[in-house]
This record gives sequence, C-alpha cells and structure tokens, in this order.
Amino acid sequence: MKKIVAFSIFMIFILFNIDKADAQNNTKSEFTVSGIVTDEDQLPIIGAVISVKRDGKITGGTTTDSDGHYTINARSESDSLIFSYLGYIPRNYIIGGRRVLNVEMRSSITGLDEVVVTGYQTISKERATGSFSKVTSGTLDKQRLSDLNTLLEGQVAGFTGGLLRGTTSMYGTTQPLYVVDGFPIENVRYDAYTGNATEGLPELNMEDIESITVLKDAAATSIYGARAANGVVVIITKKASKGKVQVSFSSTFTFSPYSYYKDGLTNSGDIIDIEREWASNNKSLQGTDAPAYAQRMLDSNIYPTQGITSILNYYTGKISETELEQKLNTLSAQGYSYYNDVEKYAKRNPFYQQYNLSVGKTTDNNMFKASITYRDNKQADRYTDDQSIGVNITNNLEVTKWLKLDIGTYNYYQKQNKQSYDALSPGYKYMPYDVLKNTDGSNYTSLASSRLTKDNYALISDYGLYNMDITPLNELGLNRAKTNSFQNRTYGRLNIAFAEWLNFSSMFQYEYGSDQYSKLSTKDSYAVRSRVNNMASRTNNTTVFNIPYGNIYNTVDFYSKAYTLRQQLNFDKTFGQKHQVTALIGNEVRENKYEISNNTLFNYDPDILSYTLIDAATLAKGVSPFWGGTFYSSDIASRSEVTNRFVSYYGNAAYSYDDKYLFTGSLRWDRSNLWGTASKYQNKPIWSTGLGWNIDKESFMTIGWIDRLKLRTSYGIGGNIAKDKAPYMVAYYSTNANVGGTQGSISSRPNPSLSWEKTTTTNIGIDFALFKNRLSGTIEYYNKYGKDLLSSTMGVPTEGFGYSTYQINNGEMRNRGVEITLSGDIIRTKDFTLNSTLIYGYNKNKVTYVNVEAPVYYLQIDYPTAYPRIGNPYQAIYAYKWAGLSADGLPQVYNEKGDVVSSVPTSLDAIVYAGTTVPVHSGSFSSNIRYKDFDLSFMLIYETGHKMRNTFLPTLGTSYSSAAYSYITNITATNKDIVNRWRTPGDEAHTNIPRIIFAESPFYSSDLYSIYANADINVIDAANLRLSNISLSYSIPRNICQKVFLRNARLQFNIENLFTLAKSDEAKYLLGGYNSPNYVWGLYLNF
Amino acid sequence: MKTNIFPIKLLFVFVLSLSFTACNDYLDILPKGERIPTTLSDFEALLRDEYGTHRLDASNAINLLNDRYQTIANLNYYPLTKANYMWDENANRIELNNSDETMYYASYASISTCNLIIEHAPTATESTDAERNEVIAYAKVLRAINYFYLVNFYAETYQENNAATKNAVPLITNANIGASYQQLTVKGIYDFILNDMQEALPFLKSESPTPLHPNLGTAYAFYARVYLQMSNYTKALEYANLALAENGQLYDWTTYYSENKTQIETPDSYTTTASPTGHYYIENYYFRHGASSYSSTENPISVERKAKFEDGDARAAARWKVRTVGTETYCVSTTRGFFNAGGITTTEVYLIKAECLARSGKYSEAMNELNKVREKRILSEKYVPLTASTEEKAIEYIRRTKDNELILTIIPFADARRYNTETKYARTLSKVVDGQTISLSPASHMWTMPFPMGAIKNPGNGTIIQNVSK
Repeated sequence: MKKIVAFSIFMIFILFNIDKADAQNNTKSEFTVSGIVTDEDQLPIIGAVISVKRDGKITGGTTTDSDGHYTINARSESDSLIFSYLGYIPRNYIIGGRRVLNVEMRSSITGLDEVVVTGYQTISKERATGSFSKVTSGTLDKQRLSDLNTLLEGQVAGFTGGLLRGTTSMYGTTQPLYVVDGFPIENVRYDAYTGNATEGLPELNMEDIESITVLKDAAATSIYGARAANGVVVIITKKASKGKVQVSFSSTFTFSPYSYYKDGLTNSGDIIDIEREWASNNKSLQGTDAPAYAQRMLDSNIYPTQGITSILNYYTGKISETELEQKLNTLSAQGYSYYNDVEKYAKRNPFYQQYNLSVGKTTDNNMFKASITYRDNKQADRYTDDQSIGVNITNNLEVTKWLKLDIGTYNYYQKQNKQSYDALSPGYKYMPYDVLKNTDGSNYTSLASSRLTKDNYALISDYGLYNMDITPLNELGLNRAKTNSFQNRTYGRLNIAFAEWLNFSSMFQYEYGSDQYSKLSTKDSYAVRSRVNNMASRTNNTTVFNIPYGNIYNTVDFYSKAYTLRQQLNFDKTFGQKHQVTALIGNEVRENKYEISNNTLFNYDPDILSYTLIDAATLAKGVSPFWGGTFYSSDIASRSEVTNRFVSYYGNAAYSYDDKYLFTGSLRWDRSNLWGTASKYQNKPIWSTGLGWNIDKESFMTIGWIDRLKLRTSYGIGGNIAKDKAPYMVAYYSTNANVGGTQGSISSRPNPSLSWEKTTTTNIGIDFALFKNRLSGTIEYYNKYGKDLLSSTMGVPTEGFGYSTYQINNGEMRNRGVEITLSGDIIRTKDFTLNSTLIYGYNKNKVTYVNVEAPVYYLQIDYPTAYPRIGNPYQAIYAYKWAGLSADGLPQVYNEKGDVVSSVPTSLDAIVYAGTTVPVHSGSFSSNIRYKDFDLSFMLIYETGHKMRNTFLPTLGTSYSSAAYSYITNITATNKDIVNRWRTPGDEAHTNIPRIIFAESPFYSSDLYSIYANADINVIDAANLRLSNISLSYSIPRNICQKVFLRNARLQFNIENLFTLAKSDEAKYLLGGYNSPNYVWGLYLNF
Repeated sequence: MKTNIFPIKLLFVFVLSLSFTACNDYLDILPKGERIPTTLSDFEALLRDEYGTHRLDASNAINLLNDRYQTIANLNYYPLTKANYMWDENANRIELNNSDETMYYASYASISTCNLIIEHAPTATESTDAERNEVIAYAKVLRAINYFYLVNFYAETYQENNAATKNAVPLITNANIGASYQQLTVKGIYDFILNDMQEALPFLKSESPTPLHPNLGTAYAFYARVYLQMSNYTKALEYANLALAENGQLYDWTTYYSENKTQIETPDSYTTTASPTGHYYIENYYFRHGASSYSSTENPISVERKAKFEDGDARAAARWKVRTVGTETYCVSTTRGFFNAGGITTTEVYLIKAECLARSGKYSEAMNELNKVREKRILSEKYVPLTASTEEKAIEYIRRTKDNELILTIIPFADARRYNTETKYARTLSKVVDGQTISLSPASHMWTMPFPMGAIKNPGNGTIIQNVSK
C-alpha cells in the first residue's frame, strides 16, 4: 500500500518547520546517523525522505530502503534531520549526540497537516480559510482508475452528479473547472454523436494522480475568477522520491456481463394479447367491409408486425381461424426471443484491460518521472472498441540555486471503432417474438415487402431501385466509424528566487488535440441503399440516381489548440517570528480555439481513393419523387471555428499571526472576447475574504483529547459565464440552396445589459481531530447566492420571437447546505485496522427571483428549467395532479378549478410542483478493514430527497405513420406492468394504468398520453443506495517480494456497482440499477 | 537578504508584459459562423431566409373551408383543427388555440425582420443610397404582405362602412426587445399597408435578385389583391393591368399532364412527379412558402372537394389521386417540390382582373381573362370556353376557378369572407357527417380566427384584444 512518493512542494514546506527549541554546540567533523523509520504500527516505511538541514537550508538527503532503514551524513550536531513521507506528519530532530535515530511517524490522513494545492499556490491546510476537500492516492487505490468522472463519486461531501454544491447557474456552465498540475484544462473534443465540440474532463494517466483537491467556497476558488462559481477540481500528479530508480507496474482486467433489462418488458405473450385487443376493438374488422379493410391495412403495412399481419390475413381469408390461433399461440410462446438473440448474436460481454508502467528517479537537483498507460476496451457492441496509450513525462531541474525549470509533456493517442448499427434499433419494427437467426441457422432478413406500402414496394422493381431488405446480423459489422485522436499537453515553468521570500514564476502550457473521425458506409449496407433510393429521380422515364450507388465516406477533422501563459510573483515572509505574510500577484492570458471540418464523398473507392462528383445544388432543391429524401448543404461539407480569449489579473494575500489567527483575501479581474463590444461589464472584480482561527494553538486549550480544532469562515464572489450569449445583435449565415446567395437569420437580438453572473458564497467550517487523531472531520455550512444569473425570458410573439427565449441577467437563486465529513480509526492495532468514513451533504436549492412565466402550459412541463417558479428548486419537475382512472379506463387529472378531466388542462394553475431532480441529501459511507496482508474496503453511495419522471411507462405511445398519413398507436414492447391495465369497468378501483386506446378508437386523443405521462403519479422517488465499489486486496508478504526484487506487490479484486437499492423497479431501472456489475482483477507491483 | 542581479531584470520583463497584455485588440476577435450585421448585404441576406421570412401557415383557414382533408385520427389529435373542420360553433376556439399558432408567430417573425431592415438599412455600410432604398422597399412590401394576411385571418374582412371601427391586429414597426405596439382598426392596418406600398413603389424594379425579393410586378399584383379585398374594383383593375404588363405568363398544365400521363393515369401508383410550382415557376411574381418551407408533397384533399374541380382539369389530376388508407378514402398528393402557397402568381391577377371586369359589366372581357387561365388547365379534349351574360354567372365561374386554382392558400378564405358580406354571393357551407347535415353560415363568428393564447398571454409592450368571442 505504501506509495514511494514524495512531493517537491512538500520539501519546500519543510523549511518552515524548524524546531529551534534545543540548539546545541556545533562540531565540525562529518559523521553518520542511521536508524529505522516506522509507522504507528511499527511497520517500516519504505521511501521516506530524510533531509539534513543546516542554517535553514537543506544540504542533503536520502530515503529509507525496503526495511525502512536509512543512513545519512551530517556535519554538525546542530544539524537537524527532517523525516517526511506523504500522508504522514513530518518530523524534525536536532541530531545532538544521537547517532542512531529511530523514528515513528504519525499518519496525517486524518490529521490536518496537509497542504492544499490551489493550482496557483500551495498552502498548508492549517493556514487555509477556504473550503477544500482532498482525496489522496491512498484512497483512490481502492478503486479501478478508469475515468475521472466516477473517481470522485462519494469522495467529497457536496459533490454529486458531477456538480459541486448544487446548480449555481441557469444557462452558464455548471461543471467545476478542472486544473491539472496548475493549468486549467477545458478538454474540448469532437463528439461524433452530436457532431459538435463538447467540453470534457481532462485526459491523463489516472495512475499518476497523487491527489485531487476540490475547492468549494469563494475563498478557495476566487483566484480562478470568472469560471470559479462552480468550484474547482485541482489534480496533482505524482513525483518520484529521492533514492534509487523507482519502477511501478499495474494491470487491471474488468469484466462486465452483457445485460439488458428485458424482464421489465412485455414478453411475446403480452404483446400478442395487446395485438388481439387491437383487433377486437377495431370496429372496421367487424362489418362486412372487414376483408377489404384488412387487405388495405396489409397493403399499406401500417402495422408491420407478425401478430397483426396474421390477424389481418385471417380477416382477408388467407388463413383459417385454426391457422391464426396456431400462429398466435406459437408467437405468444416465444418469450423474449428477440432480446435473447440480440444477446447471443449481436452483443458481447464488455471487457476492459488497463496497464500502467511508471519510472522515476530523483537526485539532489533533478526529478524525473515518466509513465505510460495502455488501455484496451471492448464494449457490448461487437464492433465497438478502443485502444489508447498515454505517455506522461515530467522533469524538474534545479539549474542554479535560484533558478528552477520544470518541463512536462503528456501525449495521448486513442483509436476508437464504433459500430453504427444497433440490433436494438434495427431500422424496422420488431417485437419480442421476432428473431435474428432463422431456425435453419441462417440470418434473419426483414423483407422490404413486409414493411413498405404496396405501391412503395412496387417502385423497387418498377423503377429499378436497390433492394431495401435488412439483414441485421449482416449490418452489424458494416459502416463502422473510426476515430483517431491525438492530444498533447506540454508545459514549461521557470521559477526564479530573488530572495528566499520572493520568487517569480513564469509558466506556459500549450495544448493540441486532433480527432479524425471517418465513417465508410459501404454500398452493401441498408443505410446506403436507402439513401441512394431516397435521392433517386425520374427523367424521361428512366431512373436517375442522383447519389451514385457506392460507398459514402464521411470524414470530420477536428483540431483544438489552447495556450495558457501565466506570470506570477510570490511573496512569503515571517516577521518577528509571529507575523507570517504570503502574497502573490499575477497575470494570465489564455486562448482556446477549435475548428471542425466535415466532408462527405460519394461513390468513394477506398483503394484508389476516387469519388464521384454529385450535383448537390440540385439535390438540395428536392428532386426525389419516390420517398421524399432530403438533402442539405451540410450533407456535403460544413465547417465551424471558435476562438475564446481571456486576460486576467489576480492577486491574493494571507496573513497569519502566530499560526493562530488567519486572514486571507483575493481579488481577480477577467476580461474575454466573449463579451465583444460591451467591455464596461468586464471590469467588475471577483473577490473573496476569509478568516480562520486555530483554536487548538491557543494556550487555554488544554483539553487532552482535542488534537486539532479550527474555525474558519469566508465570504466572496465567484463569477460564471455563458459562452454563447452576447450583448449585441448576432446573425448567422449560410448558403441558400433554392435561390442562391447567402441567407441570414437573427440568432440574438441586441441585449445590451448582459454581464457576468455573480455568485456570493458564505462558508463557515470547523475542522477537528480528536483522540490522537483517531476521529477527525469537518463540518461546513454554506450559503451560495447567485445574482444576475442569466435566466430566460420568453420571446414576445408579437415582437416576432414567440418561439424563442432570450436570456437576461435577472435570475436569483440560492443554494444552502451543510457538509459533514467524519473519519474514524475505529480499530488501530498492528495486525488489524478498521477505519470508516462518513460523508454527508445537504443541499437545498431555491429560485428566489425570476421574471418569467411559461407562456403556454406545456412548456412548464417540458422545459421546467426555462420557466422556474420562484420558491421552488431550479431543477424541478412539474406535473398534473392525478385523479385516477375514469369509469372507461381513461386517465384523469385535476384542472385548475379542481375538476376531474380527461383532457390536457391548459392553465398553468393546474400544473403543480412535484419535486426536484437534484438529491437533497447525498453522500457515502466507506470502510477499510485491514487484517495482516488483507485489505477489504467498500463504498456505499446514497442520494435521497429527489424525484425523477418515470419515462418507462406501462402504456403505449403515439407515433406518426407515413403509411397511414396520421398518428397511430405505437404497438411495441413496453413496461411489463401494462398487463395490469384497466380492462373492464371496475378495474379503475385498483389500477392506475389506463386502458389501451388504439388510434382507431373514438376515444383516441393525444391528450390521453400527455396527461398520464405528466401526472404526478409518474413522478417517482429517486432515492437510492448503491454499493459503488467493494475491493479485496492482498499484499504479498515482504520476504516473498524481496526474492523477486520487488519492493511490494498487491493483488486486488473489485466489484463495481454490485447492487442498487431504489424505491421502485422503475426508479432502479432508470438509475441503471439493473446494469450488471463490473468485476475487476488488478495486479500492482513496485520495484 | 542576498539578491541576484539577473532575476531583477526579469522582474522588469514581468511588469512590462503585464502592461503589454492589457492591449484591447487581443480581445476584439469575434466569433465565426455568425456575425454582427453591418453591411447592406448582411441585412439583405435576412430576406433570403425562407424559413424565417417567407412562410404563411393559414392551416386553420384552410381547415374551415374543408379544402384540406383531415383524417379522423388527426381530428382527434388536434381539437382546434376539429372545431374548425367540423364547424363546431360551440367550441371555444380561444381555449383550444392554447399555445402557439404559426400563422401568428411566423408572420410577426417576418415583420420583425422587415422592421429590422427598415431601421438598420439606412445606416448599413458598403452600399449606395439607391441600393439601400431598394432593400428597404423589399422589406416594406413584405411587411405589407404580412399585415394583409394577419388582418384577413384574425380580424373581420374589410368593409368600407365599418373598417374604421373594427378592431384588427397589433401594428408593430420596431424590432427591438420591448418595442411598443398598438392594435389598430381594420382601416388602420389597410392604411398602413397602402402607405408602405406607396413608399416602396418608387424604388422597386421590374427585375429583382430572386423570387423572394418583391419586384414591380409583385407590388402591382399585391395592390390589385388589396384593392379587390377592399372592393375597390377600379383600382384593383388598374393594378392588375400593370402587374400583367410586368408578367402575364401562364404555365401550361396540359403539357405537364401529357408529359407525365402514364404516372398520372396509373390508378394505384402514388409515385410523385416533380412539381413545377417552385421558386422559379413562371407564374410567380413573388414566392412564399405555405406551412412547410422544405421540399414536400401537398396536403390531401377530400374526394368531394376534388369533384368541385372542372372535368378535365389537368392541374388537379396531376396533383391528387384517390386512395384508401385504413378506413378512409381521400385524395393524396402526387406532386413533390415547393409550392407557392403564400406568394402571388399571374393566375390570381388574371382572376382579379376578370372579377373587376365582371363587376363593371364587361362579362365577355371578364370571361376572356378567365378562359386564358382555363385554357392552360383544362385538357384540350374537355375544354370549352365559358361565356356569361350576368354578373352573378360570371362571378360564379371566376370564383370556381379561383377557389380551385388557389386551393390550400389563404385567398379562397379571404374571398369567401368578402363575398359573405354581399347577400347575392354569400354562401352557406354544408356537408353530411355520419348521416347528419352540418353547415357553416356566412354570418358565423368562425370566419374570424382567435389569436393564439401564446400571443395573448405574453403580449409584451402592448395589449391584444380578441376579435372573436370563441
């Protein structure tokens, strides 16, 4: 478990810990001091750093070997030895007459002698007044380090769902800012799914993470200025400790069985039952016209399923009643045949591999570290996988006494394959009784004749169009998308010490990223055949294929570039032994830029790289007489480019008196090009101030069991921006395909009062450690008040903007909360330890002011965040009040007058608040149990107090059918609860599930689905408890390790997301609780 | 404290660079792909935005006339459609029109664009005065056209004796957020329309850059339409003649028929043929989309409605074919492309001219104009020139052709409202539904459409009063 790491920053810090109490006489001769460094359990600490300090300067150092033993040269008995090891409280000894010095170090994991790294500076937690939460590599060891997103889950109070302390903005960014080794990173990448550039989490070798510090309040974050209102996550990577070369290797294998929640779905029997009901309720199948009607329905394939087709065949007389019954019974008995086939033939069990190798060495004036991480992920889709390699190299060089140079580079290469065809949406309507393999073992084909209307189908042969059959299992491997990504991040940092108390640092980071996406749609695929047919036309009685039949090749090139330049002057001096002042001022310039270009080639030959020119201008005008294909200019090419620039000035200062009383202040100005002409709004500074009191340092504090006690409070303003809003009139332009020239439309009207959003945070916190640091924790209260938040205002229809909303700075919103972190070493003996951590976060969000009301009732339900109601949380769910089923089995709700209705109430007064989607209470409970070489740990994550809209409804929706020229009931697999629906009068007394109203029924109306789906009975409790991780590790005994030159070795087995408990099956399903767990095997070696 | 000389120099560099980066130019870069409009062509481009500026969705007028066929499922799905289509006088359409209505929203969006151009074009850069005046003139004509549609949908039809007292629609002439407006009278809106036209006319040319830019022909044709709606037949005739002098071409649908004969005549084949009626249709003065602004097929019509076309109407035969879907039989669209459902064509002007002539007793001249259109529509084997000896007969023939030619546009609705004010031409619509005869009287309140709730409840800087009780 012991990581052989020391922190350079840590080393600097040691400077302040000189114990001057017992100075002794000097002697001039050199001598050696040796000893063993152990932890509280008397186990040797490997790689602890021992430095010799003379006259306030470090003059030499060494590290402990694998037995925890060290030997070091000293010249004077007044020299002191400083023992440090990450996660432990450093210790200082004046050598005096001692030649053997055995040291027992105390763990600081539960203590407060940590440092806090804000990215701009490193300060001792003891001197901080802000709210910080720190997660160290020791804690992260318990889990698989696969992605940053899940890493912090349950680790930080107040951090839930990727958001810190709730939502603080309505339209701006809500994610915290991520900072790696001092540089903010907005990893903008191409998202092939949306076709847009999206801001993601930074890419890095996860095993390199030394610590993650989450900055929560204004005092902690205001140094980050206009982007800090959502909190800041600061990641620091590992450094090598002094001594011999350190090599670490690890590998993990993760297996996740394929799972699909078919048990919650209607099976074949349920579906046949519904299809029979469709027939028996259909008046048109009852008269003498029934055969003709049935034949027309068959011809137009409005319901292209085996069940309804068989029923209609019976009505036309093609099959007898016995044959029909036989057929329906056979189908009925198929269970989940389609889903089983999908699992068997179209999916696989995801499997993820990860390897990491790192090498590091630190000498007196150089520190080197390199790591390489390789990942190979195979996803459930058989042709979806990715491989990546990340190489991280850092070197810190002390050029002279006063000049330090750090350089680092991170290179990441990733290759992804993405299957574009999914058997679960195969391009035709399937039912649970359908198959992917025929009984003879051949692949099932959905025939065009079974889906298309009779006359559309006739076109294929009449006009020589391409076949429209779909064979799902053949399609799986076709049209795969590939993405090759490369990212580089390189930084240099120069640190010049003018004096011991004044230094200047200048740093520059350049980031480059490229994503090259390509998708070759082969001519065999249904997608190409369908596209070619859809764009064909007739000229002089011959069919013209305006898109030539052949491969279609789509490529997207995405480039991102960013640089950050920062210059900073740091001051740190103690006056008269008690007055300690630290300050910094600096300036930062940042630019982010990205470009996307998208191109499509038709009839592409991947071997000779040729393609056919098409007449896009004509196609865009609409030429197809057959199935009405549409062609847009972006189907040929599109480009976009964005550049953002920021210039900032900042400074902060901290004063502490006798380490007891702390005062901090911070100020920052930000300006950016995002606000273009309206620079008058850019001059508002972002600032904070904080106070702290280390009560335990007071002389009156003589209570023995209190080791630490600190009270701190802070107040300040954080900013936030919405990048896509501007104060001036903006129009966007494109080419008009119909009449030529450039067409433009106004995307935003002049809105001259736009400015930064401002969030004021008050934070009060208590840090404590009791009973020899056995119980430690933090209790915090915060009140974040967002003012001038961008909130939406509905465009005025008469002003011509009735469909759009625009944003003005007039929203106000409050987040109040309490956060508690408690950590206890319940048992602490040599062989057996048990410690537990409880994290609790309470967050209450309330919109205190907006000047908007939903102009139309359904917007309140569909876009609740666009029309917040004062007094309710921002992320609210609004619903109709459910009034039970009618005597006819129709859903009913209360309207604004309290009347029971079966139609959509159109008054806003009928729409009630039904809960918030953000957990009010969240947190985790984790425990770590060590017995000798075994380590068992687990983490339970809980969230309560929030709601979700049930979208997995036991009812049938409505979809538009081009064959029927109207909306029809979408008969398809749905929530299995539909079997408990209303069927006969009286059922309304014991079920809330409405009867099925088919499109052919006189009751049919769009309102029925709307009121049921949006009723408060379908707003369900989202409270959940999840065993997010359980791990068992075994550290191979030291004597075995030594035989194979290992410093230590560990085997670990994890299960991720073993179970989820939720209030209902629907909630569990929607929370992903039915997904199968991940099983992880890991091996960790240190040489 | 020992200090080094070299680092002190660096300190100067640091201070210098601090002041250097303060340079404002660094932050003055603007986003790409979008732009703050400044040049005249930046503003002119707004006139090429078909979705934003050139759409007319008069669906509910078309539903009221039963010109479009609605399936039972659609009627169940859209209660407002059902109320209009089934002439349900008890239905509270104000409540049913409970959200947005494209007629209102798209028309005012177009007006806003016109207002923006009228306000900003005078100071637009990179242009001459003549160019600026021309762009402003386009915007004024388009604004007038929008107000004409709005007033003929949401307010009572123009009648000389009461136009000054009847409330009409909001008049807004500014594109700023929070711009104030006033709901004028019918006369007020017509006066505004005529004023806009008068101001625009001197700067228009016979040729405009695209069919989306009104030319002189558009202005004359629109004048003819406005004066006809005001029952000012002399003025209407005068402008109709001016318009036809600019463009009098008629498209020959009988040729189209013979070119696509096989497809048109094969009973069960619903493959569409390319419609010639797009942006560059030779009859266009000005092109404006109907409800959809993309290439599509037209709305279906009922079998009864198709029967109202003349025997041998090639255009109708090419456009719809009877089809049974499920339990319902109606005529589905068989041409695909763009349809000028909101612009102005020569056909309409010929028929305006015909009516004006008939109104002044020149029946044979009126029939001549009508026959010019019919000749290009009715297959030669069925074509017989029409004659009339009374105004009523002449109007009957003209109206039949106009209703059919301009089906699925707002014009037959506007005409019906105009005729409804004249006893001899007022018509009661009737049909049989499930054995019951239902009807819509010329005096019904349903001929005026209610404003959508979205506009009433979010009125902005002004107030809007409904012109109809339900």
